[in-house]
Amino acid sequence: MKRSILKQNLLKFIFIGLAFGTFVSCSEYFEFELPEANSKVDTVLPSAAFSYIPDADDYRKIKFSDLSTESTKYLWDFGGGATSTDRDPIFTFVNGEGTYPVSLTVSDDNNVSDTVIIEVVVEDLFVPITPVIINGDMENSSNDWRIDFSNGWDRNGFESSSDGSWLKYDGTDNGSKTRGAKWNRNRSAAEWANPNTRHAYQSIVVSPNWEYTLEFEYAIKDDIATDPIGGRRIVAEILDGHFTDGADAYAQSAVGGALVTYLGTEVKGQTTFTKVEVKFTSNASGEVAIWLWAVTPVDCYIDNVKVYPEL
Amino acid sequence: MKHIKYLIIMLTACSISSCSDEFLNPLPDSVIVEDTFFKTDADVLTGIIGIYDALQGVNSNTESNITRSNRGVQFEHLLTEHRSDNTRNQTLEGSKADFHRYLVNPDNVESEDYYQSMYSVIFRANNILDFIEVANEENQAKYAGEAKFLRAYAYFNLVRLFGDIPLVTTVINPGDDESLYTRVAVVQIYEQIVGDLQEAVNTLDNAYKSRASKAAAQGLLAKVYLTQPTRNYTGAAQLCQDIISSAAFDLENNFRDVFYSELNDEIIFAIQYQTGNALESQSFSAEFTSTIRQGSDDGQNIVNDNLIADFNIYGGNRTSESYYEFPTRSEVIKFLPDGSNFSVTPPTYGDNARNAGNDYIALRYADVLLMHAEAILAGGTETTNSAAIDSYMKVRVRAGFDALADRPSILTRDLLLVERRVELAFENQRFYDLLRFGVADAILSAHAADLGYLDYNTRKLLLPIPAREINLSPLVNGQRLLTQNPGY
Repeated sequence: MKRSILKQNLLKFIFIGLAFGTFVSCSEYFEFELPEANSKVDTVLPSAAFSYIPDADDYRKIKFSDLSTESTKYLWDFGGGATSTDRDPIFTFVNGEGTYPVSLTVSDDNNVSDTVIIEVVVEDLFVPITPVIINGDMENSSNDWRIDFSNGWDRNGFESSSDGSWLKYDGTDNGSKTRGAKWNRNRSAAEWANPNTRHAYQSIVVSPNWEYTLEFEYAIKDDIATDPIGGRRIVAEILDGHFTDGADAYAQSAVGGALVTYLGTEVKGQTTFTKVEVKFTSNASGEVAIWLWAVTPVDCYIDNVKVYPEL
Repeated sequence: MKHIKYLIIMLTACSISSCSDEFLNPLPDSVIVEDTFFKTDADVLTGIIGIYDALQGVNSNTESNITRSNRGVQFEHLLTEHRSDNTRNQTLEGSKADFHRYLVNPDNVESEDYYQSMYSVIFRANNILDFIEVANEENQAKYAGEAKFLRAYAYFNLVRLFGDIPLVTTVINPGDDESLYTRVAVVQIYEQIVGDLQEAVNTLDNAYKSRASKAAAQGLLAKVYLTQPTRNYTGAAQLCQDIISSAAFDLENNFRDVFYSELNDEIIFAIQYQTGNALESQSFSAEFTSTIRQGSDDGQNIVNDNLIADFNIYGGNRTSESYYEFPTRSEVIKFLPDGSNFSVTPPTYGDNARNAGNDYIALRYADVLLMHAEAILAGGTETTNSAAIDSYMKVRVRAGFDALADRPSILTRDLLLVERRVELAFENQRFYDLLRFGVADAILSAHAADLGYLDYNTRKLLLPIPAREINLSPLVNGQRLLTQNPGY
């Protein structure tokens, strides 16, 4: 009998319990476990920073790298309405060289943000080659200025002379004559070409398709003599390419195939030099050659040969 | 009251005999402390040699517990070669395998060990600088120069790997957390390095190769000038020219002899090890093996295919002396342990592979020749300067190339960089070369994409400041004084 009462009561308790459970909503009971309670305020806040590197092939294409701390979201503004939300975006400044303010706004998951603006300098850092002319001051023999000829012509570049310019290679006054390169009737080329003809040849490498200047000094004696048609002259050229046979170099010069040809016809007498600057544009390979010769009944001289780029 | 006069006398006696510092801080008799240790010139020299000990490190096969000893430069290839495009770890297990995939964490033990090793060099140098006046007068300048050379050497490594770092140049007292944990800008670190090396150049001679020398200081300073934020190309060119003109060094005729004839004519500065001596040997020779494994790991400095491709074009006779192609991977053979025999198949490695004596080569003449060309190039993309091409060609000709037929009329940056790559492969130069030439991000991002190392980004060019150091640093306004690098 007692047992059945207990059973009845037990069931009662269970029903009451279940009913009670349905009346009480969970949220009231677990309210104290909401995440905001007892949580600490985030005092370590985002700090925006970035660096940038230009692309090796295209200086206008800039790779940005985020260097911020405590941040999860990124907003880049490159100006002109261009933006990105990547962490490390790549952006091309199509207008080329210039200074562009770029801003990076970083924020954390509490949406606390920080912004940094950096003036991004976009510049073309290409530096053209300044070739070194070996024995450009003509102080030594013509060994650095010679080329073999398959047609048997003289391989030497010029006659080495003590009647060069008064100026040193760096343009300062030497106080007396320096040595120079000399040509005469026997060494003349073109219409007076003969087995003793001399051409000064030196191959150099310059930056492709770039503006260059060929600079040198020359002097022609003013003695009376029978001149060639058009007058006594020295000729300075920049040939298109490197040559191993002087005859090929001569052939290019003869048909006017040089990148630039300069005729020097100022007749001012021995050791009175005229400085010349000849502009030319290099070819696509950057391989060019200096080619110096003369047609003259009297001695003429070349000194201080230089080649330098437009900067 | 009868005794009062005795008391007065005693009190007076006490007050008259003043207590000296030593009375309250007695120097112990039974142990040696630094204030009692340095008494003679020889003691100071011992202290100087002790700095090298920090660079040399302890072989992991002698003391395997990394918390008890530092490895010095024995882990350096992980932080440098593995993070370049040259080499990788054989397997992907453990923290040593994180470097080549750009996954290094702030708690990486090898990175932390290297950081500690270099600061150990710095602290030992700072300490001995306090006792220089104990040495004989004629040696004082030299000892100071030597300590400062080593301090600069350590800072130069740290600043390139970790960026802004704490600058400590005096002995630190307990509680002086500020200087220990305040990061100082790279520019100022370089100022300290340059000052220290200039003093070393002025005070040292060329008496040693396994210790600091004038030439070592000149060569290192040249590299610093080529690396510091504002480059000094003329200074670097002059320093290299001085080393070349001194005629104290020369290239070995045979590339192999650079590595297997220790302290040869080409070596300017090396850290020495001794075969078979547990306390003076190194572990890296063994760890560079994998197919026939000699080390305790699966193999480090495994050669990447794109380095092999460069060797095939530019290596010359260096290729067969630099790595060996096993059926499934290529392994470094510049530092084979004593008794190794590669004329048999399979090759053998002698009896002492884990206690190897091969020196760590810090600076050699070929590096100086190539720096000479680099300094003349002066940050340009190419040069026709014959002095630069001469220096470059000396290294090329030793590698078996023809002095005339293979001489370029124009030396480009790229040619110089690849020449350094094959000449100095596995000598921990490549990563720094890439940084110095300004191409680290371009080359490493392409390399990482090629090999599927997706975690690479520009931030990985700096290693994380070790978490342990950050956690030891004091809290200032709720934040640690020592800050982390971005991205970690």
